[in-house]
Amino acid sequence: MRTRTLVNVAAMSAVGALALTACSNSTGGGGLSSSAGGGGGGTTYTVAFEGPLSGDNAQLGINEVNGVQLAIDQANAKKDLGFTVKLLKADDGGDASKAPAAAAQVLQDATVMGVVGPSFSGASKAVGKIYGAANLTIVNPSASNGTLQTLGFPTWHRVVPNDYAEGPAVADWMAKKFKKVFVVNDLSDYGAGVAGAVEKELKAKGVTVQTAGVDAKTTDYGAISQTVKQSGAQAMFYGGYDAQGALFAKALTAVGFPGARVAGNGVKSSVFTTGAGAAGNGWYFSCGCQDATVAPSAKDFTAAYTAKFNTPPSTYSPEAFDATNILLAAIKAAKAAGTVDRKSVNDQVSKTDFAGITGQIKFGPDGDLPAGTGTVNLYTQKDGKIISLGDVSKAS
Amino acid sequence: MSASVQRRPGESILSNPLVGRALGCLALSFVLALMIGKQEGTQQDFGLAFRQAVLGPRILWFLLIGVLVFVLLTFWPRVQPYLNRPGIRPLAVGGLTVVVAYALLKWTDSTAVSDGKFGTLSDAASQTGTLAPLARTFFTAPLPWVLFLVAFAVGAAAVVIRRAVLSWVGAAIAVLAGVWAWYSHSLVQSLLGSPDHSTGALVALLGFLTIAAACAATALSAEESANTRGFINGVFAWRPGMPLVGVALLLGLAGFAIATWFSPGNRNATLVDTASMFSTTGLSPLSKAYLGWLGYVLFALSLALAAYAAYRRDARLGWGAAGLGLVSLVLNLVALHDISAVGASTAYDGATGAWQNLGTGGWLACATFLLLAGAGYIVATAGSERGTIARTKADIAAGIGKIPGKSKALILFVLAGALFYPPMATPFWQKVLVSEIGIYVLLAIGLNVVVGWAGLLDLGFIAFYAIGSYTTAYFVGALPIQPPEWMRLSPLLCIPIAIIICLIAGVSLGAPTLRLRGDYLAIVTLGFGEIIRIVAVNNPGNFTNGPRGAFGIPQPEIHLGPIHIDWGQASLQYWYLLLVIVGLVILAFNRLEQSRLGRAWAAIREDEVAAQATGVNTTRVKLLAFAIGASTSGVAGVFFASQIGYINPDNFVLNNSILVVAYVVFGGMGSLPGAMAGAAVLTWLPEFLKDQVPAEDRQMWIGAVILLMMIFRPAGLIPAKRRAAELHGLDEPSSAETTAVAANEGMGATK
Amino acid sequence: MTDFLNYLVLGLTRGSMYALIALGYTLVYGVLQLINFAHSEVFMSGAFGSYLIVGMFVHDGQHLAWWQVTLVMFLGLLSGALVGAAVAWGLERVAYRPLRRRGAPKLAFLISAIGMSFFLSQLAGKLFNRLSQNQFPSYFDQNKAVFTIPGSGATVSRIQLIVIVSAVIMMVFLDRLVSGTKLGRSIRGVAEDAPTAALMGIDIDKTISRTFIIGGALGGAAGFLFGTTFVFSNIMGFIPGVKAFAAAVLGGIGNIRGAMIGGLLLGVVENLVPTFPWNGSGGWIGLQWTDVVAFVVLVLVLVFRPTGILGERLGRAA
Repeated sequence: MRTRTLVNVAAMSAVGALALTACSNSTGGGGLSSSAGGGGGGTTYTVAFEGPLSGDNAQLGINEVNGVQLAIDQANAKKDLGFTVKLLKADDGGDASKAPAAAAQVLQDATVMGVVGPSFSGASKAVGKIYGAANLTIVNPSASNGTLQTLGFPTWHRVVPNDYAEGPAVADWMAKKFKKVFVVNDLSDYGAGVAGAVEKELKAKGVTVQTAGVDAKTTDYGAISQTVKQSGAQAMFYGGYDAQGALFAKALTAVGFPGARVAGNGVKSSVFTTGAGAAGNGWYFSCGCQDATVAPSAKDFTAAYTAKFNTPPSTYSPEAFDATNILLAAIKAAKAAGTVDRKSVNDQVSKTDFAGITGQIKFGPDGDLPAGTGTVNLYTQKDGKIISLGDVSKAS
Repeated sequence: MSASVQRRPGESILSNPLVGRALGCLALSFVLALMIGKQEGTQQDFGLAFRQAVLGPRILWFLLIGVLVFVLLTFWPRVQPYLNRPGIRPLAVGGLTVVVAYALLKWTDSTAVSDGKFGTLSDAASQTGTLAPLARTFFTAPLPWVLFLVAFAVGAAAVVIRRAVLSWVGAAIAVLAGVWAWYSHSLVQSLLGSPDHSTGALVALLGFLTIAAACAATALSAEESANTRGFINGVFAWRPGMPLVGVALLLGLAGFAIATWFSPGNRNATLVDTASMFSTTGLSPLSKAYLGWLGYVLFALSLALAAYAAYRRDARLGWGAAGLGLVSLVLNLVALHDISAVGASTAYDGATGAWQNLGTGGWLACATFLLLAGAGYIVATAGSERGTIARTKADIAAGIGKIPGKSKALILFVLAGALFYPPMATPFWQKVLVSEIGIYVLLAIGLNVVVGWAGLLDLGFIAFYAIGSYTTAYFVGALPIQPPEWMRLSPLLCIPIAIIICLIAGVSLGAPTLRLRGDYLAIVTLGFGEIIRIVAVNNPGNFTNGPRGAFGIPQPEIHLGPIHIDWGQASLQYWYLLLVIVGLVILAFNRLEQSRLGRAWAAIREDEVAAQATGVNTTRVKLLAFAIGASTSGVAGVFFASQIGYINPDNFVLNNSILVVAYVVFGGMGSLPGAMAGAAVLTWLPEFLKDQVPAEDRQMWIGAVILLMMIFRPAGLIPAKRRAAELHGLDEPSSAETTAVAANEGMGATK
Repeated sequence: MTDFLNYLVLGLTRGSMYALIALGYTLVYGVLQLINFAHSEVFMSGAFGSYLIVGMFVHDGQHLAWWQVTLVMFLGLLSGALVGAAVAWGLERVAYRPLRRRGAPKLAFLISAIGMSFFLSQLAGKLFNRLSQNQFPSYFDQNKAVFTIPGSGATVSRIQLIVIVSAVIMMVFLDRLVSGTKLGRSIRGVAEDAPTAALMGIDIDKTISRTFIIGGALGGAAGFLFGTTFVFSNIMGFIPGVKAFAAAVLGGIGNIRGAMIGGLLLGVVENLVPTFPWNGSGGWIGLQWTDVVAFVVLVLVLVFRPTGILGERLGRAA
């Protein structure tokens, strides 16, 4: 009996130890150690990505994290940074309620010098303050809600124009051509935001506007297409994302809607063109961005991305790539200036003037691309390809 | 797998049970091959990952697993006697522990080694000339695994053939391997020179020692088969309170002698170091004394007193030990506060503030004192417990009677963990505890009333959580429509209002659906949940702000006379707030379960018509279940909204409702500890799996875990006692395999 | 009137898919009194499986003759049904039978099915992809109107006709199967009173297994129709699954004809929302309220008929 006592006490304590495993503790936070036990010399800094890597929105996060990974791999391969870079993936499931835990995961790694993300506006709202309090710079590739820059997040930067930048511009263009417009949104933070901005501007210009919302998780766009057709609208604006846009495009064609189809930046992607096929021809897209499929550096990016991930870059991959390169440049600049810590990197990011594949990127005092610096361009799909029509304010 | 063993002939398509089993095993290996591997598919090459999983040579490995499982199942009756040999379970636990330590855990926190796990560390360490040869040898590629396999194989052989010499050899190898691993790890750590909180080496050491202990037990034991459950009960029954004293001894030794007490920057100061660090600062004399000598003395004294009280079963000494333990706990907390506050005020190595930069040691000491106080309390109250108390070893072995103080001891363990584990955890786990585990535990407690006790399947439970959150958002003024100035409230004051509103919502959902039964109720509640979410999205009257949600919900504050508490961004404070809320709810619900209402719920759950016939007012009782569940959920909503500061309709999707039901059933329907454990485990698991499997595959593994749990333990983690008792009668011992099935449930139900 | 008919056709198309899926819920409920929460993933597997088969024979952008289209459609339905049946069979063996053996409480089945649902949906995502818009090859012009409803301008497109017709054929087939064959009698027997049926010599395990297979085949075929009409993905099952479950309850769960009627009704109600007189700009009930309307209809029906439109007996279905 006594020997078994010994054994079982040992077994129980082992189980207890196992139970604690997930939680190795560190309240102090680790410091940097440049001399390694053979683990490779040089300093290592970490770029974090926060976004959905699981759940229903995982595809968007994967698009972005691939862009981040590519930028980091290219930088490490070039060896001209003077340090090596690691990627930390923090999965928030695209869910605002899981974002704080993901942010804590990012912040507890003392080598993290900046975060690319969060992918969604909701998650950004939930963690902007937390990152700000830790001086960790945010370079956001995709959360385009038009109020984020006004919420007082001290380290906020964003490489995409916000909803309010592109919405009014495209609405002005539509107001010149159409007198009756049907505005549809996908009931997401982004879609409702951009559609709301368009609706407001159209109404201000005296255009008759009708609105409807269709949940982004729906696959059947039959009823809404029929409604749009029957409204007799001359044009339809869709605020939403590419995959849903493609379904909508097919449904609109199926019911034979005769009017023009216009959409925001969220729809303009290869996912839309391949998904919608011929039904996407003639769609217009507004986008405060350079044409990433035309610029020469973007072509290299597309080739490298396709080679590495066996799939072409999709929504927000180029933005994530740019955001990462901005961060890397900022760390390098901070290193050249003396100290590399979260604060100095954030200062460097704020000073960024960077020629990225999505355009020239320079942040205003609120962290957004300043209004007016990036022109909003109009694009259209022709024969399955997206081509630029130039500045939307000048387009006919 | 025992399910396939029990397959009766003639039932499967292939009448031979062996063939069926073989096919099952092959199917298992096939599915495993599909589950483990890289995600590769794209739209361009749709079936790539599928082909890679199935067509490559790797499938052979999985087929081998299938064959092994088949062989094991087929020869199970012959293997089984060996599985009862003394020492086999500890051996298995030890082996598993070592494998986990090698394969999953971090062995260093140093940033010089990329992921800090054993493999990368050993790669790095084996190439470093500056490392002492002994340590370098340990980290040379196959050696650690070979050491482990040899120790494990020798141990297993010793258990099977029962040869004492072999056992001692196995024990020696295991001890050697464990100590070697620990020693090599500490050398690497001193070389890397960064602070370390990794657990790998420690866990490996524990695993090896467990293997060694298993071998030793085999050598010493004369018996043919082990009785684990009887043993565990024996430990608890030996002397009430003694197990707590034992654990407290281990924790206290670790806390006072080894662990870090104060660690600003990278300084890992143990208690001795901390005392010398603060010897010249303006620390209060009491705290200085505590660090210098009082702490040790208090530890020794309360340990001795608790142990003696437990040994003598003396109630008065027990009260004494409880008192001393609590006083020591308070002194310890005061000292912790003082060192962190003084450290911060002098900006010692960049210390940041009161309660910051503390290491694990102080908290371990807290847990020690709490457990010692608890041991004293158990001793003091053991004599007054009602019911049959197991007295003799024979009673215990036969499972007769109650073990005095066992449940109190378990509660104290959980309490000590809940109070003093979180401060030791990383910020990530602290956040997970607060924003996921804690909240879902609260939700599961609420849903347990509806589903577990009253037997009403509610698939829209998250709606009340949403109502609670939006109520908070409205009354703090975070929605477009502002409340009148006099109605603006601080978040904590929203709790009673949210409770009232959720009570009303619960009743108004319940009232029209009372006629519905079972699955009709399920779909209506599901619809209700979706309606609430869609209303929040569609933003009628610009009340909910649509998909943009409500931003800027303030953190809770209390300003009561001299007391000012402000919950800021730090997770820990929310954790303690949550503990208070959960504690109050548990106290209330515990009484509720035993009350007339609780029995009425059980009655309508088992047979509504019969309950009605015996005079239960089913309408009232059902509405009360809905209302009470809903208001708990509402409290969780208030907490959530003010903790995270931002809510949007996406937080309240249907999937979350379904998950809460899954938590409750997984844990054990109708069992309060079960529902809590279920929620805790299933919210902890995805965060744990994050580092172990590709992030996007987590849900797949969780689905598999839920499935296996329901197959092998359908009554849940901690089955409800009442449910078991209702079916078996109170005399029979309940077992995990048999479960309570109400007469009208499951297969063969007749209308 | 044209508008109304157009919406009606849209509603019938969606409704026939709901009905096919709802039959799976209702059949299982009939024999086991359990909601098979994983049925939505059976539906999903049907789409993936039929895509693999159809993709082998036709390529994107091909234009086939009408008889070839018919053949490919038939192939797709058949392969979807086979894959769906296989998955449903495995589902029963893994997530239901072991629990029945252990006499698990009713909710344990629900949770094991939910676990299975997570598992299957994510496994499909891992093995194939997690994109939300996989498409079947377009080998014929789906949107070409085949005929115009006389007396109005409303049209029915090819794909709508195919979906409705094949759904109706399958439902008639199932109805005959359950009411007229030996298997159907044993299913009804088990649904009516399982212990008695067992005493009468019906093999209960086998009957349950076959019920899952029939329901799975219908669900898998619906997966193919859904994927061809819209798109398919590893998470496609959830929303149609919930809707079809609601449809089954609406019609009277456990009742086969009830599921058909419930499915069609739900599909039509959802699509008629835009024709409500108070819809339109500034109106309260826009398209975004579709699901609310659907659930309110469900609740209203249940308040007046607590066991659904046709009541809940599989045994009396025929």
